[in-house]
Amino acid sequence: MTVRENVANGFRIVLDGHRRSSLLSRIGFYVATALTLLFSLYPFYVMFITSISTNESLYSRDRGVIPKSFTLEHYEVIFGSGSFPVQTYFWNSLSVALVTSVIALVVSILGAYSFTRLDYPGGTLIRRGIIVVYMLAAITLVIPLFQLLVRFDLVDTKTSLYITYTVKTLPLTLYILWNYFRSIPVEIEEAAFIDGYSRLETIARVIVPVSLPVLVAAFLFSFKIAWNEYLFASVFLQSEALYTLPIGIETLDSAFQNVWGEIMAASIITTLPIIVMFLYLEKYMVEGLTAGAVEG
Amino acid sequence: MSELRLENVRKEFGSETAVSELSLTADGDLLVLVGPSGCGKSTTLRMIAGLEQPTDGKIFIDGEDVTRRSPSGRSIAMVFQNYALYRTMNVRKNIGYGLKHSSALSKSERIEKVEEIAEMFGISELLDREVSALSGGQKQRVALGRALVRDPDVFLLDEPLSSLDAKLRSQMRTELQRIQQELGVTTIYVTHDQKEAMTMSDRLAVMNDGELQQIGSPEATYVRPENRFVASFLGSPAMNFLDIDVERRNGHTRYLLDSHELVRVSDDTQAIDRPIQLGIRPEDLTLLDDPDDGATTGTVRHVEYQGNDSFVRLEVNGRIVTCVVPASVRPRQGDSVGLNFPPDQIHLFDMDAGDAIRSPSVDASDTRIETGPSTTEGNETDSRGANR
Repeated sequence: MTVRENVANGFRIVLDGHRRSSLLSRIGFYVATALTLLFSLYPFYVMFITSISTNESLYSRDRGVIPKSFTLEHYEVIFGSGSFPVQTYFWNSLSVALVTSVIALVVSILGAYSFTRLDYPGGTLIRRGIIVVYMLAAITLVIPLFQLLVRFDLVDTKTSLYITYTVKTLPLTLYILWNYFRSIPVEIEEAAFIDGYSRLETIARVIVPVSLPVLVAAFLFSFKIAWNEYLFASVFLQSEALYTLPIGIETLDSAFQNVWGEIMAASIITTLPIIVMFLYLEKYMVEGLTAGAVEG
Repeated sequence: MSELRLENVRKEFGSETAVSELSLTADGDLLVLVGPSGCGKSTTLRMIAGLEQPTDGKIFIDGEDVTRRSPSGRSIAMVFQNYALYRTMNVRKNIGYGLKHSSALSKSERIEKVEEIAEMFGISELLDREVSALSGGQKQRVALGRALVRDPDVFLLDEPLSSLDAKLRSQMRTELQRIQQELGVTTIYVTHDQKEAMTMSDRLAVMNDGELQQIGSPEATYVRPENRFVASFLGSPAMNFLDIDVERRNGHTRYLLDSHELVRVSDDTQAIDRPIQLGIRPEDLTLLDDPDDGATTGTVRHVEYQGNDSFVRLEVNGRIVTCVVPASVRPRQGDSVGLNFPPDQIHLFDMDAGDAIRSPSVDASDTRIETGPSTTEGNETDSRGANR
């Protein structure tokens, strides 16, 4: 079932349930839904509308909710002018997000597996430590991480982002996989041991295929975090050639005058891949998060 | 046929002893490990499989010490309660998967082998189905096929039938027995179900608290339990236990319940000077409609009709005693009935240690035939006559 179907289903249940109930409670439900949608969708709406409005209408006093004229000039500026290398930023973001998610996924498959199946000294400490790291705000980590990067001479390199983003996303992916692996009956692995597979082979051939939907979910979360990250990138990167989209957008502010249309157009370009990816992978994710029985 | 031998095997988990000093042998037969949950039977099986390492002791298969070998290096196959099939593969792949590693067979030989085993379990037409599309019984057949396709020296089953419904379970029991006999593979079967254990086993090993209590044929174990645990664990409804006093007089031994004589035996030469418990199986007790004076009597508290017989719960001197009677006998709640304790069916146990002091002396099959109600009633009358 996709998220869309889930939501539709939820509506049906609520509305059916309310058929016999009072008009007042039905109105209450609609108002609550409308407010939720308004608050979550309005910023997107503004972003989109701003990106296609002419500068005159953007900066005029009697600007309405629906603009009177449309234009693609902001997108032309973003793609056409040499002063905003959108391709470079896009590829930087993509490579950082992909490398981070792949590293985070591989490490967390092995890590989460060890949490659920292996007993080793310090295991409990590591498990707790990961939760604690996840609770820490990114800003508290910036300075210690920066010091480390200076020591290893990694400031202003993409490697600095690969490492720090992995540090940032790993607790979440570990936690997701850890919870899922716990629900896989250990007998499936034992059957594989008896069939002659080593532990690593068992992980690759038995655990990974069974966990595919959850791996997709973990990948998506990790990708999203890395793709949208701003703070670390703004501190650790100096050369414009290495900028990712979020800090690239920031440079627009100083490069142009009347920048809002351009900033919003760039924001749309930044947001689109995540939305497309989510819509495409959503069905795997929901399967993964609702999958109950694992045994054959 | 391969011999499996366990020598003084012990397993500790931290400070907990799961299995202690276990020694047993199986050779081409079906040995059932039975006991309540937590008795160490599954741990024992997992040690034989190599999924757990014994803390101490040795495990031999065909005379070879396999104690430290990996699960795949000891020619065993195992079936789990929850099937543990690879759910991302179809039936054919599930069965054939292990063969790739465990054998040097060519691809065509492997295909042939898989089809052969599928036929044996009647799942040939399911070979190309996904396992998620199978019913519980079919999944269990696939799991059995996957295990046996490798021609293991020792076949291990951990409560393989407990996820199936009652009808399918008894059907699979018969089938498993048939296949085991056909292949003659040494088989260790773990269950907590004493009935399943009795019906399936060539030999029965009863375990409790990590210790082997008794091992032997199901008949011998049932009729001559070596201790109170085995006596109470096997049989449904369970054996009745009564705390009794023993009195010896004029060459007779009298077993007294609150100074009321339950049974008198003449042959008992053992001196008994410690607290004793008397045990008697519900089916060995007989009800007397018209008891003599001084006979043991009880009040019917509850009757459970079972179809072919009935379980009657009687209150005797404040204790509840269960008795199995033919369905034709229909006592009513509140009735007062006489109760006959046949002397040759009496078990005696040491109250503290629980060891059997006296067991029915005759062979199981003989006992069943000899113990007609008329005979025992006759005995009863005789002994009472002598008593007065």
